[in-house]
Amino acid sequence: MMPTLIRFGPVPGWAILWVVFLAAAGIFAWRVTTLIRLLLLGRYENRFDRIPQRIWRVVVYILGQRRMLEEPLIGLPHLLIFYGFLMFLLSTNSMLLSGLLPFLHLPTVDENRFLAPVVDVFGVLVLAGLAVSSFRRFILRPAGLQRTIDATIVNSLIASLMVTFLLAEAFRSVGAGAALKGASTQESVWAPFGNWLAGVFSGYPALVVHATGLYYFFWWVHILTVLGFLVYLPYSKHLHLLAAPFSVFFSRLEHPGMLRPGVLLEGGMGAGRLNELTWRQLLAAFACAECGRCERACPSFQVGEPCSPRQLVHNLKMQLFLCGKVMMSGVPASKLDKETCLLEGLIPRNELWTCTTCRACANRCPVFNEHLSITIDLRRRLVERGELDKRLEEALRNLGRYGNSFGQSERKRAIWTQGLDFKPKDARKQPVQWLWYLGEYNCYHPALHPVTRSLARILQAAEVDYGILYEAERNSGNDTRRVGEEGLFEMLRERNTAVLRAADFKDLFTMDPHVYNTLKNEYPELNHGRHRILHHTELLAGMFQQGRLKAARRLSYGVTYHDPCYLGRYNGVYEPPRAVLKALGLKVKEMPRSRSFSFCCGGGGGRVWMEETGEAHSRPSESRVREAAALDGVQVLVVACPKDHVMFSEAVKTAGLEGKLAVKDLTELVAEAI
Amino acid sequence: MKIAVLIKQVPDLVEGLEIDASGKALDQDSLRYIISEADDHALEQALLIRERTGASVDVFALDVGEARDSLTTALAKGAERVTLVAAGLEAAPGSHALAELFAGVLRPQNFDLILTGVRAIDDLDGSLGGLLAGLLELPYVGLIRKVETGPGGETAIVQKEFPGGFITELEVKLPAVLGIQSAEQPPRYVPVSRLRQVMKTAKIGEQAVEPPQAQPIAVERLFKPEEGAGASMLEGTPEELAKQIAGLLAERHLLKG
Repeated sequence: MMPTLIRFGPVPGWAILWVVFLAAAGIFAWRVTTLIRLLLLGRYENRFDRIPQRIWRVVVYILGQRRMLEEPLIGLPHLLIFYGFLMFLLSTNSMLLSGLLPFLHLPTVDENRFLAPVVDVFGVLVLAGLAVSSFRRFILRPAGLQRTIDATIVNSLIASLMVTFLLAEAFRSVGAGAALKGASTQESVWAPFGNWLAGVFSGYPALVVHATGLYYFFWWVHILTVLGFLVYLPYSKHLHLLAAPFSVFFSRLEHPGMLRPGVLLEGGMGAGRLNELTWRQLLAAFACAECGRCERACPSFQVGEPCSPRQLVHNLKMQLFLCGKVMMSGVPASKLDKETCLLEGLIPRNELWTCTTCRACANRCPVFNEHLSITIDLRRRLVERGELDKRLEEALRNLGRYGNSFGQSERKRAIWTQGLDFKPKDARKQPVQWLWYLGEYNCYHPALHPVTRSLARILQAAEVDYGILYEAERNSGNDTRRVGEEGLFEMLRERNTAVLRAADFKDLFTMDPHVYNTLKNEYPELNHGRHRILHHTELLAGMFQQGRLKAARRLSYGVTYHDPCYLGRYNGVYEPPRAVLKALGLKVKEMPRSRSFSFCCGGGGGRVWMEETGEAHSRPSESRVREAAALDGVQVLVVACPKDHVMFSEAVKTAGLEGKLAVKDLTELVAEAI
Repeated sequence: MKIAVLIKQVPDLVEGLEIDASGKALDQDSLRYIISEADDHALEQALLIRERTGASVDVFALDVGEARDSLTTALAKGAERVTLVAAGLEAAPGSHALAELFAGVLRPQNFDLILTGVRAIDDLDGSLGGLLAGLLELPYVGLIRKVETGPGGETAIVQKEFPGGFITELEVKLPAVLGIQSAEQPPRYVPVSRLRQVMKTAKIGEQAVEPPQAQPIAVERLFKPEEGAGASMLEGTPEELAKQIAGLLAERHLLKG
C-alpha cells in the first residue's frame, strides 16, 4: 500500500503531502524567482551564442566534473554524490508523484528492475562519498574550506536522505515478505543493499512485526526531508547545485588573454555598483560553493595578503542579498545609500589591488566564475575616481607621458644595445623578417640588459633577420589594462598599432609574456592573422628543431623551470621552453606547482608598480624560490619572463638562498651552450 | 570665491638638455615640455579648496611649449575655465616680464586668490609671485604647503614651512597671491579616458597680450659646468707633503717670487 493512503486522524496522508508539497514548491519557486530577479539587476551581456560549445562545456565540466577531479580526494566523493543526486532526483520524484497520486498506482523506480539496483547502490556510494568529504572538511581541514553550520546541515540532510531511503526500502521488503507468510520472500527487483538490510532485519521478530509501520515512517521522513531540502537549498551555499550548470553553460568562451573591454557607463568606467556588473558576473555569487580551490591557488592569499577570490565572490553575494531587494523595488541606484555601492560596501580596496591577475583562481574554479573580470571592473572604477596607490599613479603618469613605467626617455629605449658589437636593424626603416618587440623591462631594467643582449647575440649568430622599433616602441599595455586604466591601454595600443603597421615585417616575437599576451590577443588591428606572434621560447625551440641552433657544449646544471602565468596559464605555451632545455641536454626537474598550476611571482597585473600592503608574512616570489630550492640537485631556476627574472633574483636574496639557487633566463643558458 | 592658478611649462629633465647654436638658450628641437611641478601643486591646492568651498578655478598658462596639454589636463581635473595667454614668445621670459604679462591679464578680473608655484626649475629665484603681488598691490606669501579659506572668504589660513622642521600658520587677508611649495596631497591622476573625452570638447580660451618690453637683464651665455681634471691623492709624512705641495704650486706658477 502507498504510505500516503494511511490516515492521520481524519486526514488522509496524501492530503497532508499535497499541502506540504505545495508549500515547499511554492517557497522554492518564489525564492528562485527572487534570485533570477536579482541577477536581472545586472547589465545585459550576451552569453547565448555558440550554444554547442556551451553544451560541451557542461558535458565536460558538470557531467565529467573535470575540474573537481583535479583534487581526487574530494573530486571522487563529489562525483559520487553528484551522480547519486541525479539518480535520486529520478527516484524521489517518482516516490513523490506516486505518493501524491496514490490511487493511480503509478510505476515507481523502486519497482523497476533496472533502475532500482542503481539507486540502491548509489544510496550507499553517496554515503561513502559523504564520509570522505566530511572527514576531509572536519578532520583534515584543508585551507580555504570553512566548517560552517551550512556545510554541516547540508551534509546531514543528504546523509539522512540516503539512510531513510535505504531503511524504507528494507522495511518495505521485510513487510512485503511477512505479508506473504512463508511464500517466497524473493523480491522481483534486485537491490543489493536494501535486500541485505532486509535480511538482517528479518532476524529480529520485533522489527518484522512493525516492518510496514517502519516502512511508512521512513518513507515519510525521506519525503519530508526532500521537501525540506528543496526549501533550504536556494537559501544555502548548496545553491551551487542549481546555479553551477548555468554558470558553466554561460561561462566565457573568449580567449582568457583577451580581457573584456571596459565599458563607459553613466557612473563611469568599469563598475562601482551592483547593477554595473553584468548578470553573469552576479551569477558568480550563486554558483560559488565556497570550495576554496581559488584560495589554495591564489599567490597573494597564500602569503597572507588581504586577497581572496573566494571572499570577493562571497562579499558580492552578501552585498547582493543585502541591497538587491531594495534595488529591485525600483529605487534608482543613485538614490540608494552608500552600502549598495560595491566599493563603499563589503569589497575592500586592498582585496582588489593585491590581485596579480595570474588567473590561477579562475583556472581552478569548478563553476567557471570570472573573478578577474569582477576585480578589474572594480579597479577600473577606482582608477576613474583617481583612488589609487601613489606609486601606481606615478607609473601610469609615466606610461602616459613616456610610454614606459620607468619614467625614462623614449630615446633611451635602445640603451641595452650598448655593449653589443653590432647594431640591431631599425624595423621602422628597413624591411625585416622578424620584429622583436622588446617590452619595457627588457629595454630599461639594468639587471635585464645582459639577458636582452644574450638573445641579440644568439639571433646574430643564427643569422636571423630581425629588427627593433627603437624609440617608437611603447609599453604594450597588458598590465596597464589590468590595473584598470582602460583609456591609457587604448592610447598605448593605438600608438603601437600605428607604429607596427608602418613597419615592414613578417612575424613578431617578444621576450615578455605580458607583451606576448596582449599583442596576441588584444591587438585585433595588428593581428588579423597577418603576423605570427611568438614568445622567444617558441622561436628558439623552432630554431633548435630546424637545426639552425645547436648546442656546442652540454650544460651540467640541475634546472627547474617556472611557467610564467601569461605564457602558460593564459596562452598554453608549456612545451617550447622545455624543448629548448632538452635541446641543451638539460633535464628539467619539475616543481610541485608547474604548468597550469604554476605559482605567480607576484609581479603581474601591475603589482610591480604598487606599494606592498605590509600585511603579508612573505612574498609569492619567496615562496616560489623556496619551492625551487627544495628540489634535489637543482641549482638553476630557469625563467622566461623579465618580471620573473627581477622578482626571483630579488627573492633569492631576501630568502637567503644566494649561492644555492641562481635565476637565469632560458636565453642565457642557450647563449652559454652554443 | 574666485581662484586663479598660473601655470607654466618647463623643460622636461627626463630628456637630455642641449644648448642651441647661439649659446644663450636651450635647443628647442631636443626639448620636451612638462608642467612645472610646483605649478601642478598650485592647481591641486586650488582644486582642493574648490572641493571644500565651491570656489571657481580659472587656470592661466603662458603659451610656451605644450601649454595646451597642461590646460586640457587642468580641465579634466576639474578647472572651470582655462586660458592660454598668448604673447608670441618662444620661451618663457624672465620673472619680471612674466609678472607684467599676468598682471595685465588678472587685474580686471578681481580674483580672491591667485595661486602659482613658488618656483620653477628655470626660475629658481621664485620671484614671480612676489612681483605679481607688487604689481597688483596685493599681499604675498610664498613656500606654502596648505591653504584653508576663512569664513566668508575674507581671509585665508596658510601654512608655511621653515628649515629646521618649523611650520608657521599665517592669516592672510584676501585677495592675495600665494606661492605654493606643495599641495596638501600630491597632484591627482587623470585617467586617460577622461582626458580624451575632455580633449574632444575642451574649450581653451585664448587671450592675446602684447609681448613684454625689452628687459634690462639679458642672457649672456648658457653653459654646462666645466669638468675639472679630477683629483690626485698625495701621500707621505707632513714634511714630504709640504714639499710636494710647494712643488706643485711652483709648477703651476702659483708662487710669487
